Amino acid sequence: MNRRIRTFAYSLLFAGVLATPSFAQQQDEAALKKDLTAVIALQGLPCGQVVAVAEKAESDYAVSCKDGNLYRVYLNSAGRVVVEKRK
Amino acid sequence: MRVLVVVLSLTIYAAGCAQKAPPQSPQPVPPATPEASGTSKTAPAKPATTATSQTEDKDKSAPQAAKPATPATAKPAIPATASTKPAESAPPTKPVASAPAAKPPASSTTAKPAPAPAKPAPSTATAKPAPPAATKPAAPAPTATAKPPVATKPAAPSNPTLDLTELKDQLKSTKAIGLMTKLTLKNQVDDLLDGFRDHYAGKGKSSISQLRQSYDMLMMKVLSLLQDKDQKLASDIVASREVIWGLLADPKKFAALDV
Repeated sequence: MNRRIRTFAYSLLFAGVLATPSFAQQQDEAALKKDLTAVIALQGLPCGQVVAVAEKAESDYAVSCKDGNLYRVYLNSAGRVVVEKRK
Repeated sequence: MRVLVVVLSLTIYAAGCAQKAPPQSPQPVPPATPEASGTSKTAPAKPATTATSQTEDKDKSAPQAAKPATPATAKPAIPATASTKPAESAPPTKPVASAPAAKPPASSTTAKPAPAPAKPAPSTATAKPAPPAATKPAAPAPTATAKPPVATKPAAPSNPTLDLTELKDQLKSTKAIGLMTKLTLKNQVDDLLDGFRDHYAGKGKSSISQLRQSYDMLMMKVLSLLQDKDQKLASDIVASREVIWGLLADPKKFAALDV
């Protein structure tokens, strides 16, 4: 019985270890989406909420909005955040 | 032994599901993924992975960033400022704002009478109660944030209690705003400062009232971003709102800002 309990505990620990990274990743992604949502809103462009983000390069994102709008959000060489509408 | 094997397999399965969950949900949202991948070169693989199902958080967060939050913050905030820092903000605003717009000054002036009793109570979070009592003009410094961060250095000396540097640092370090959002805000602050520069140089197309409107809008944006997650900073910004405007609206003070 002890052996089973021990094994169960190990398996739980193992599962926790596996789940932690994915959880952290989801948190980061949620923060990024929120950030990009705010950026688009600050530019006065329609979006509602960012539902998908693809990082094309550093500080360069392809964004899909809940309302169907698609944007490219990137930092240009002048240090400005640019939001371009994509089709 | 069988039980053990079953438990292990279930655990591993559960762990596997935790990682795969995101991709499953995005599928039902076809418009986003296919389009994104079609446009971008590297996108195909990433959108699938990134197009996770974090809808819960976003549903809540999105509206915050947008508009609903803004109105709520702005109104309550303003009155708070007036009540807390009447004496402080009043002196500086008067001379400066008198020329341009009567709106802000009016609010501050109305608060004047109350100042006397309000002084003791205000004792704002930022350690400035002592100085205000000594000198009214110095008081305006409750705390300045938002835009002038750029103008921090020069402003500090003229207004001892206006700790722009600290506010600038707080804005930079706050976790309530994401990096890209901070950069966007900085761009907009720079644009506004350029507008003032052009205005004072005589090239400006926008009047002081239009600049004031832009300033208010920018303040609202900043406050709407901060109000939920960093209320202290938001209140500091609200408190220093008129003081900052005083710096911007006065050509001499603005020139001294060195921004």
